[in-house]
Amino acid sequence: MGGALGSRDGAVSSLLLSGIVKRYGTQAVVDGLDFSIRSGEFVSLLGPSGCGKTTLLRIIAGLIACDAGRVVVGDTDVTKLPAHRRNIGVVFQSYALFPHLTVGENIAFGLKAHGVQGTELAAGVSQALKAVQLSALADRPISALSGGQQQRVAVARAIATRPRLILLDEPLSALDRKLRETMQIELRQMLRDAGMTAIFVTHDQEEALVMSDRIAVMNHGRIEQFDAPDTIYARPSTPFALNFVGLSSQWHGEVSRVSDTLLTVQTDCGTIDAPLAALPDATPGARVLVGVRPEMIEIKHLETSLAPLDAVPRNRLAVTVGETVFLGSRRLVYFQSQQVGANAVMAEVATNQSVATAPGDQLQLSWPVGHTLVYPMSASH
Amino acid sequence: MNSICMVRWARGLLLTAVALFMLLPLLVVVLVSFSDSSVFNLPSGAWSLRWYDSMLHKEGLGATLSLSLGVALASTLVALVLGTLCAVAIEQGRFKGREALLAFLVSPLLMPGLVIGVALLQALRAIGLQDVFGALLIGHIVITLPYVTRTVHASLVLFDMRLIEAAQTLGLSKPRALLQVMVPGLAPAFLTSGLFAFLASMDNYPISIFLTDARQKTLPIEILRYLEESPDPTIAAISSCLIFLAIVVLVVAERLVGMRRLAQF
Amino acid sequence: MASTAHSATSRVAWLAIPGAGYLLLVFALPLALLLASSFQSEQGGFTWQGYTNFLSDPFNATVVWNTLKIAFIVTGLCLLIGYPTAFAMARTSLPVQGGMFLALILPLSVGVIVKSFAWTIILRSNGPINHILMSLGIVDDPVKLLFNERGLVIAAVHVFLPFMVLPIFTVARQIDSRMQEAAATLGATPVHTFLKVTWPLSLPGVVTGCAFVFSMAVSMYVIPALLIGDRYQTLPAMMARAYLFMRDRQAGSTMAVVLLLIAVFIVVASTLLTRRLQARTQAQGVAA
Repeated sequence: MGGALGSRDGAVSSLLLSGIVKRYGTQAVVDGLDFSIRSGEFVSLLGPSGCGKTTLLRIIAGLIACDAGRVVVGDTDVTKLPAHRRNIGVVFQSYALFPHLTVGENIAFGLKAHGVQGTELAAGVSQALKAVQLSALADRPISALSGGQQQRVAVARAIATRPRLILLDEPLSALDRKLRETMQIELRQMLRDAGMTAIFVTHDQEEALVMSDRIAVMNHGRIEQFDAPDTIYARPSTPFALNFVGLSSQWHGEVSRVSDTLLTVQTDCGTIDAPLAALPDATPGARVLVGVRPEMIEIKHLETSLAPLDAVPRNRLAVTVGETVFLGSRRLVYFQSQQVGANAVMAEVATNQSVATAPGDQLQLSWPVGHTLVYPMSASH
Repeated sequence: MNSICMVRWARGLLLTAVALFMLLPLLVVVLVSFSDSSVFNLPSGAWSLRWYDSMLHKEGLGATLSLSLGVALASTLVALVLGTLCAVAIEQGRFKGREALLAFLVSPLLMPGLVIGVALLQALRAIGLQDVFGALLIGHIVITLPYVTRTVHASLVLFDMRLIEAAQTLGLSKPRALLQVMVPGLAPAFLTSGLFAFLASMDNYPISIFLTDARQKTLPIEILRYLEESPDPTIAAISSCLIFLAIVVLVVAERLVGMRRLAQF
Repeated sequence: MASTAHSATSRVAWLAIPGAGYLLLVFALPLALLLASSFQSEQGGFTWQGYTNFLSDPFNATVVWNTLKIAFIVTGLCLLIGYPTAFAMARTSLPVQGGMFLALILPLSVGVIVKSFAWTIILRSNGPINHILMSLGIVDDPVKLLFNERGLVIAAVHVFLPFMVLPIFTVARQIDSRMQEAAATLGATPVHTFLKVTWPLSLPGVVTGCAFVFSMAVSMYVIPALLIGDRYQTLPAMMARAYLFMRDRQAGSTMAVVLLLIAVFIVVASTLLTRRLQARTQAQGVAA
């Protein structure tokens, strides 16, 4: 019989991972990872395929064993426990619903495995069905359900046993875009109402931004940044995080001057200033990567004089318009970049913005210095 | 986790044991065929080819072998033609009762061979057919036809007709598209079913026993007669040759088709 | 365009005529005649005599019981060995799977006579098995494995095992391994998972395998002939003897019909069972 049903009194658990190592052959897929989340938090593990996020999820669930490290749920060290004794709910990417059982029987499965019977069983099942708004479908076979319904059954099945923690592996990837957007909000609400601590694994940064209290950006088995969505967006701590979450304009350059408050970087496209706080230990001559979010940039005609006497110092670059991509409520304008390499330069403007942008137009970009991001680059970059 | 290692170990042990169980008997036969003693023993020291020599000089074996081969080849060829036609008709046609027709065409494999043999014996006697080869041919087609129909049909079901459409958009007419795209796609099913049908015919006893007479026998019947009347390791030599034949057939099929598709059941 | 397409597909249907016609003529018709002949007396009139003779002789009941008993034992053993084998195969790497295929299909291609012959060599009193058993000290006298049921069952399991393993393997491969993981995360112990998830999902393969093996075991002739001789009477053996040696057409055809009925029953039962199981489990893998 599985572990005792937890959370009857409503207490959900925190999670602590320390020193997790997992090797496949000689390759370390996860290498000395530390990670902790608070009770009741929603966290996303965000990263490209192969970064180790799914491996980490399976280690937490107990489906694979780690080579080193500890997994602690609440105040219980579960590292040595097999999956069926951890009472951690899992929603699989392909849902893994049992095709030979009805919706109700799927949901009852975990409760039965824990020894729950009779009226308590029926109550648990109907509660879970209510939470996902599928009460009418209790007797349907799985094959008769739509993708969105199957996803909800998978969630209901996982929460029915009141797990201490719930893990969701790309739960929305099988749904089409419109449905996905609706489900993102609904799923979040469902889990909140159920009072769960949840970890999502996803490669979709928009999903992570919508659904999480904090995001762990993962790359090559390590967590590069672990912060609230707005922090990660506004202040990504590594170029990887900058690239993976949101869009950005980027330039390579060399630090030419360091003053009390500013860094000046010389690039092929011009001079860019950044706040010293962005890279406090910068030295002249250091190679750096400079970036800025596209919605921070204003596009102006070349002749426009620099702003009304603004107290805010701004960067200015002359550019040539490349392509414009229409995205509905906004436009993304791509500029031809003179630098070698693939880094794109773009600005995001509202559709009704007045400056016309035809390919070949000469315009100037301008943004507040304070929003410039700077990252050190090794010589190999 | 320790339990995972144990499970993996047990799994390996089981698979090895089953593989050995399946293959060792064949190995024993081959070994006995090389033994010098005239009792069925494993060669303990003395190896010899005398039983192969005896096999080559065995009276009547040549005629038996050519009868078996002839029937097997002929029935396989007929089955390939008729079976493919049936498979195509069932898969491409749109008529009611397709499933029932397929079930009917495959049903001889599910019926006891002896019963089919007996039924054919009575029917052929009633119409006065005396020719052994003819009778055998008729009977063997009944069991080779289902093999081909089933395998080719299964392969057709899996065949993606959109490939034909793609070929048409690239400039091939429908008949040419079928020839250049579907035929190669079906070739594996064709080949494997033909090979297995051939082997099934060579090995068939229950039907053949009722359709042969004292003078003309097929190979399985002859072997069984040797075993009952005068068993000596010559039979082991004959059996080893049959094993060798099977290995050759399998290797050829595997090279052409791959191990996985051979086991389509 | 639509009408030519339609007539094209209905014309395709005619391709089945040669094959289906052939089987009707050469397979269905003779069987029907056999059935009729079992009701035919020596003079040519209708009679139940064949069946009354058959059913009234208690020896025949023993024979039918023997035949069924051996078939059950063989099927049971094949299931017991074949089921874990099929699943073990489904979980290993591709090269090992390929090797196992070879080990299963090579004997299939070799033929039942060679295999039965092999077992007559192995199971003899002075054969390898007894040799090993005695030299290991497990037994003092040679164990009699030939000309009794033990040898027959061993040889039959050897011949029929692939027919159990391969259908179950096909189904086992399709069972999404994530389902067992899901069951574990829901708190099911490995035993619970097997009983409630794995076994129900593997049933179609089990039914197919058991139907194949049972029906072949009921009608096997060569294996008992070589491994057990005249001592153990099975229905096929008796039927063959009635035709080949005793020339008793009526007795022979009666027994043939009984054998046929058993075979038909197995086919129908397994088909219905499989259909019911498949209706329950329509999509063997859910979305994505």
